[in-house]
Amino acid sequence: MNPLPVWSNSTDKDYPIHALTQRPMAMYHSWGTQNAWLRQIHGVNPLYVPTKIWEQNDFKDGDWAKVSSPHGEITVPVAHQAALNENTIWTWNAIGKRKGAWALDEKAPEATKGFLLNHIIHELMPAKGDGMRWANSDPITGQAAWFDLKVAIEKVEAPAECEPNIPAQKSPVGKGPKNLTWKVGA
Amino acid sequence: MTALPPKSDVKLGLVIDLDTCVGCHACVVSCKGWNTENYGAPLSDQDAYGENPSGTFLNRVHSYEVQPEQGAAQTIHFPKSCLHCEDAPCVTVCPTGASYKRAEDGIVLVNEDACIGCGLCAWACPYGARELDQAAGVMKKCTLCVDRIYNENLPEEDREPACVRTCPAGARHFGDLGDAESDVSKLVQERGGMDLMPELGTKPVNKYLPPRPKDQGNEIDILAPLLAPIATETSGFLGWLDRTLEKI
Repeated sequence: MNPLPVWSNSTDKDYPIHALTQRPMAMYHSWGTQNAWLRQIHGVNPLYVPTKIWEQNDFKDGDWAKVSSPHGEITVPVAHQAALNENTIWTWNAIGKRKGAWALDEKAPEATKGFLLNHIIHELMPAKGDGMRWANSDPITGQAAWFDLKVAIEKVEAPAECEPNIPAQKSPVGKGPKNLTWKVGA
Repeated sequence: MTALPPKSDVKLGLVIDLDTCVGCHACVVSCKGWNTENYGAPLSDQDAYGENPSGTFLNRVHSYEVQPEQGAAQTIHFPKSCLHCEDAPCVTVCPTGASYKRAEDGIVLVNEDACIGCGLCAWACPYGARELDQAAGVMKKCTLCVDRIYNENLPEEDREPACVRTCPAGARHFGDLGDAESDVSKLVQERGGMDLMPELGTKPVNKYLPPRPKDQGNEIDILAPLLAPIATETSGFLGWLDRTLEKI
């Protein structure tokens, strides 16, 4: 165990591309109560792809891709970003929602076009032979340390919604109002 | 149609630094937060938790990617709100006098009691800075937080627009652009502040500071040599700690 954050580069040739996420800055300002506004700022998240990988896969605007890691695969919309390291793809974290989550409509873009990389990241480290499986997270803070994720990407026919497409969860609370006119006082 | 006031010496407005704006949308959220609860009708949202949410915002951030002929591509975040133009076409087009420019400080406002929601001003504005509120049926726009900047019930440091007060990057500045000696005027002078689409003759009061030149993406960080290991074998307490932790 190393108490300082360490990073090592997987050299698995089947998964040559680094995959990162970051939480949208807008989400930090008012994460809890003003979701109706923030979801208008970031309601969907494409997978941002650098020019080299974009051209290798002959991607066009509106295309979708299957992204796979040793742990799993997801199928998601892609978008070109030239200002990006040529071996790295990334997306916004924390936008994709399971259907029914956050008391949103099941057709909410967060549930149909938004996605998370969680499906291709195992929550445990690889077995070390000692019968123990260590959490795939920072040993001190518990934060998931995901900057070592490596993936492969290929163009696929666009599905109707992001995959995996998990059935809706039951919301513990009712739905919010259709329209909002928030005003305090007269 | 509505007349513009005589030329004002005081020109309150914003100076927005496109070099330091990181596109975090703090200004967008704080603007909506202040302005939905204060001046005029609230800024409504339609289908707020549904399939196609939309709503009224007085300030939005658009992000662009620039790909120069040579060098690395760049991301530019462009916050956009009313520019409080000196020759405001949104005022002169208004059929009821609801859209007006204040003589004393140049702020462009909408008198919602007189607004009939015809939308002509939004068509006339070349910047897309006005939004018709779908619930109230009246035109909404940046007020430069007119209910903050003169508000003696607020602590003095809060008497500036909400977007300026909240910007964590210090990319937004508020002041009198009619006073050549003001901080904002000096900033515009030093940094080559620009008008948006000056060819349209609207004479916007708000100014944008252009991004500074960026590196070309091929330089190695000056700190890189410091990343080389300085001790290959550890000894003493730290060496013991290192070996012990490795065993866990």
